[in-house]
Amino acid sequence: MLNRREMIQTMSAGFGTVGMADMLSGGTHFTPKAKHFIFLFLNGGPSHVDTFDPKPMLQKMHGKLSPVGNLKTERKTGTLLGSPFKFQKYGKSGIEVSELFAKTGGVIDEFAVIRSMHVERPNHEPSLFTWNCGVPLPGRPSFGSWLSYGLGSMNKNLPGYMVMCPGIPTVGPQLWTSAFLPAAHQGVHIKNDEKADQLIPYINAQRSAETQRHQIDLLSKLNRMRTDDPEVNNSLESMEVAYRMQTEAPEVFDLTKESEVTRAKYGNTNFGRGCLMARRLIEKGVRTVQIYFGNFQPWDNHDDIMRHKVLAAEADPAIAALIEDLKQRGMLDETIVLVGGEFGRTPSVEVSGLVNVQNGRDHNNHGFSMLLAGGGIKGGTVYGATDEFGFKAVEKPVHPHDVQATILHQLGLDHTRLTYRYSGRDFRLTDVEGTVIQDILA
Amino acid sequence: MRRLLGIATLFALTGHAADSPAEFFEMRVRPVLAKNCYSCHAQSKMGGLELTSRVGLLQGGKSGAAIVLGNPDESLLMKVVTWEHDRLKMPPNGAKLADAEISDLKEWIKTGARWPDSPTATKSKEYVIRPDQKSFWAFQPVKKSAPPQVKNSAWVKTPVDNFILAKLEQNGITPNKPASRLTLLRRVSYDLSGLPPTPAETAEFLADKSPDAYRKVVDRLLAGKRYGERWGRYWLDVARYSDDKLNSTMEEPAPNAFRYRDWVVDAFNADMPYDKFVKAQLAADHMNDPKLLPALGMYGLSPEFQDDRVDVTTRGFLGLTVACAQCHDHKFDPIPTKDYYSLLGIFNSSEYKEYPLAAKDVVDSYEAKKKRADGVEKELKDFLQRQGDELATILSNRTADYVLAAFGRGPKDGLDPTGLDGETLEKWQKYVKRKEHEHTYLSKLRAAKDGDDWQKLAQEFEQLALAVNREKKEIDEKNNITLGGSSKRGDLSQADLASLERDKYFLWRDLFGTGGVMFYGDKKIDRFLSGEWKRHQDLLRTRLDLDKKAVPEKFPFLHALADKEKLLKQRIHVRGNASTLGDDAPPAFLTVLCDDGHPKPFTKGSGRLELAEAIASPTNPLTPRVMVNRLWQWHFGDGIVRTTSNFGALGEKPSHPELLDYLASNFVESGWSIKAMHREIVLSATYQQGTADNSAFATKDPDNRLLWKANRKRLDAEALRDSLLFAAGTLDETAAGQAKPIDDANHKRTLYGYVSRKKLDNMLALFDFPNPNQTSEQRVATNVPLQRLFLLNSGMVMDSAKQLVKRLEKIPETQRISEAYRLLFGRAPEAEEQKLGQAYVAHGADAWPEYLQVLMSSNEFLYVN
Repeated sequence: MLNRREMIQTMSAGFGTVGMADMLSGGTHFTPKAKHFIFLFLNGGPSHVDTFDPKPMLQKMHGKLSPVGNLKTERKTGTLLGSPFKFQKYGKSGIEVSELFAKTGGVIDEFAVIRSMHVERPNHEPSLFTWNCGVPLPGRPSFGSWLSYGLGSMNKNLPGYMVMCPGIPTVGPQLWTSAFLPAAHQGVHIKNDEKADQLIPYINAQRSAETQRHQIDLLSKLNRMRTDDPEVNNSLESMEVAYRMQTEAPEVFDLTKESEVTRAKYGNTNFGRGCLMARRLIEKGVRTVQIYFGNFQPWDNHDDIMRHKVLAAEADPAIAALIEDLKQRGMLDETIVLVGGEFGRTPSVEVSGLVNVQNGRDHNNHGFSMLLAGGGIKGGTVYGATDEFGFKAVEKPVHPHDVQATILHQLGLDHTRLTYRYSGRDFRLTDVEGTVIQDILA
Repeated sequence: MRRLLGIATLFALTGHAADSPAEFFEMRVRPVLAKNCYSCHAQSKMGGLELTSRVGLLQGGKSGAAIVLGNPDESLLMKVVTWEHDRLKMPPNGAKLADAEISDLKEWIKTGARWPDSPTATKSKEYVIRPDQKSFWAFQPVKKSAPPQVKNSAWVKTPVDNFILAKLEQNGITPNKPASRLTLLRRVSYDLSGLPPTPAETAEFLADKSPDAYRKVVDRLLAGKRYGERWGRYWLDVARYSDDKLNSTMEEPAPNAFRYRDWVVDAFNADMPYDKFVKAQLAADHMNDPKLLPALGMYGLSPEFQDDRVDVTTRGFLGLTVACAQCHDHKFDPIPTKDYYSLLGIFNSSEYKEYPLAAKDVVDSYEAKKKRADGVEKELKDFLQRQGDELATILSNRTADYVLAAFGRGPKDGLDPTGLDGETLEKWQKYVKRKEHEHTYLSKLRAAKDGDDWQKLAQEFEQLALAVNREKKEIDEKNNITLGGSSKRGDLSQADLASLERDKYFLWRDLFGTGGVMFYGDKKIDRFLSGEWKRHQDLLRTRLDLDKKAVPEKFPFLHALADKEKLLKQRIHVRGNASTLGDDAPPAFLTVLCDDGHPKPFTKGSGRLELAEAIASPTNPLTPRVMVNRLWQWHFGDGIVRTTSNFGALGEKPSHPELLDYLASNFVESGWSIKAMHREIVLSATYQQGTADNSAFATKDPDNRLLWKANRKRLDAEALRDSLLFAAGTLDETAAGQAKPIDDANHKRTLYGYVSRKKLDNMLALFDFPNPNQTSEQRVATNVPLQRLFLLNSGMVMDSAKQLVKRLEKIPETQRISEAYRLLFGRAPEAEEQKLGQAYVAHGADAWPEYLQVLMSSNEFLYVN
């Protein structure tokens, strides 16, 4: 029987190889539909009315004040601003997608498009926290940490939860913290603009493999001589994993192992390379990979919505390539892909004193879209709707807690039962809310 | 009682026809408005309309008054809800009101729209603490009981042992054998100083056969300055100390944060009474002792989350999770929402203040110079912007000429291109040749052929450009008026402001916006200026340069707090929503900790000093219990109450409640001396036990809650790094001072390294350093492969091994292995260890650092028994 201290340490041993899974009867709460989770975070808040939520009324009323007034958002907004981008139907499902995401449109039959998302606040930080940690405040474990804790890793030589961003998104490391969960469940942040061999701290072997082997053999003998040492097996196992990681990890990150055709499909961009790396990591058994589109909040186009064109040119091919690639390799069935940002953008033009030009949109927490694919999600589905201008979710509103509950469900976990007792209280990812969205499940 | 009354009234109303206007309103009208309208027309005031008061309806919104008294047919509200209005049909999204509801509204307007003062306004009912909550153990006065009798009294060294042994005997468990003297010395040295004993200290202790040999060691350690460096750091975990601010987009150091850290270290070394230590951190600015001011860093360095200050105060000092009560009364503990806001109000009536640590003239001179430089900078910026605007207007008056020239139509058609500005013309040429434009105004010119009237097309385009520029200025002016002259960002602000039509906007942006064809900003505009304008600009630039250079480096200061001049009247935020205000929450202490359950409002300034006195009061049952429990945890790994920052109903119960109270009362009686508590603890036989396991006892008490053995501990991040440097002989023991990054060049103790909220140092994060964004109650110790990578490959470990080789090279080769063991483990190697070592170093010249690296990665180095 393990005591509490040993439990924490054992759980942490091989990146959570013995995670919560062993404490749940039968490993998970339900038979899992999916094993992996990829979260493509278009940080900054992409505009739904310019991408996945067409609004004919908005086009019609362009330049006029909204008859129902503007909702409160972060800054001041004015007249309605029609989308400069054309929408068209794609796939068998005929879901309308804008020209910005034409390639994603090509695989839209794999996606459930939720058009009725909402979050509490029109500000980046609380919304980023809500998506990633379940509450609009810091201090709670992140989505990926909960999965690592609940499900463990499938590859002892790699962390169970990897986060990629060329630098740091707004808020930063708090978004992949394990908080009060054991530190082993923390996301390992790697800068995907760096060389493969610099991604994990201290991963570069400083001595030859042969020397290290001698050292570890000696260490093993010396440690075993201290017979009163209950930690001895854990320590040695840890050291062996570290030793193997030095060769395995850099190889996973080495994209030159992929064909030029594949690399070109994803695009030679930070996000494109990130998506390709995500596929390689998932293939190697990493549980959760999260990719932040860029540093700080690139999709935050207050000034000029035309900036979306440049951003989408990087995002669109990478998303489409990832879905196709996963599907082709038979991995899409067991991998859930979530695409979207912390909130959407206003249908009205931003006119706050902070913007130099007036062709952009403010944050919109009242209504926006998110996309889900793979892992038992019913593709070609549209769920929920915003009002006729796209300001507010009015039909079947969905909160991030519902998305989190749904993803946990597909991974075999009951979001109300995946808990951790800390400072005298049971905590969970979805706090006290969340409902599985049954209608988007296959 | 109020609740009962409410139900009775409700019954009466539903039972009879609503006879009075007030009742009619409450039963038939208010619910309809609330259910259907308030999501948009209460706080959000959509369309400028607020339907929460009669005045709101009469004033109406952008479309005019919502009601005409006595005349429902003329009332906009009726037209809108009956969907007779051509544009507005409410509620939106197809949810038309029921006919009965519509006729009620009609009736109400017809009879004068009476709106009585609400009997059910947001007044909350009085909060009552239940008897079972009041009698919860943590809220009872600290009660000192006599140490219990034990059978094996020979084992007892201090009264602590009576409490521990009594429980063990009850459970049929016997305490472990004492740790070996070597193990004990290493344990107590790490515990009280964060570093291992030196070989000399070990030799001295092992040779000292006097009965008080161990006590002498404890005295030496408690008197050393390393003690404060170890224990001050534990407190900094609770105080969520860091050297920077949590800024998501850029580095933002708090350059004087270290002064708080150093004050904490000094306070521990000086054994400052804990009550004073608490009060100073909360209210040093009210204590007439400038030496205490750095203590305010605890709050001056707050990460500024809205509940941080209440959270750190209540969890940190009191072991209560009051921040849980910000949206609703605490679900488990007797903490009403009002208590949260009473405490919040204290901090909201306080503000961040920097206390300069320099003479007044130094401060004044800095401020004056800074102000002057900032002033000139703004003047220059404004001047350049005005000139840029002026220039664009001038240039725009020749738009036709530029456009013709840009299309190559100038000379050919007999137009004189002279007088056109070369750079501007180039920009025009580039612009008209662009593949795509986001407006259509240039399309005619672009499609024009030789025979067309180029002149006319160009003139038309010019008129358009001028008109768009004028229109933009007018709109800006109008918006500026709408915004009351303020263009500042208002949180959650909302306004329907005007803007240019999109095509016009694009044209304006391309021609006049930043980077547009006619835009010339800083530096670029220089060549257009001459005469007085040029001289003025040069003068401003020169002045700015000089003034900036004249600003000296900022004087040292303290990140601290002060009371606001205008104190804030805090009100409850109903369900945590700042826009729904409830009752007043005057500054006061927690209800449950006041004798009669009625906290008296604080009256002195923000109330911080009174709060501090209430927390640090000897009769407060929580403060001394929480602190002695923390001290116990930092010695043993777990507290007597394992949830050290939560003594509430969801926290764990104490394993030894009488012991906890015995220590807490001794703590207060000793004058709140922390060092006295250390002595109580480390001199006990309980503390001095060995770590050997016992499977029978482990079955009875798997978590070792009863302390039948000592807990083995992994070195934390600070102790690990300090020990590597210590073994290498390169540890720089200079105390205090500015925090530096924890890199290979930094050899100071780890607590003096830079602690970042934004990006915690790799090594610290890897070895479970607590998150500095919130108060932290316990260090966890994980054992993961990434930590092993640090041991395998970090410069820190490799360098330490190399340095240790240098130390050993001074002695004969045959003695080096035993000397390494003495330095690292305080003992001689066993024969087998000696043999393995010799075999390894025989590999060659590089073998020594490799070998020492192995010793430094061994469990004996990483763990303390």
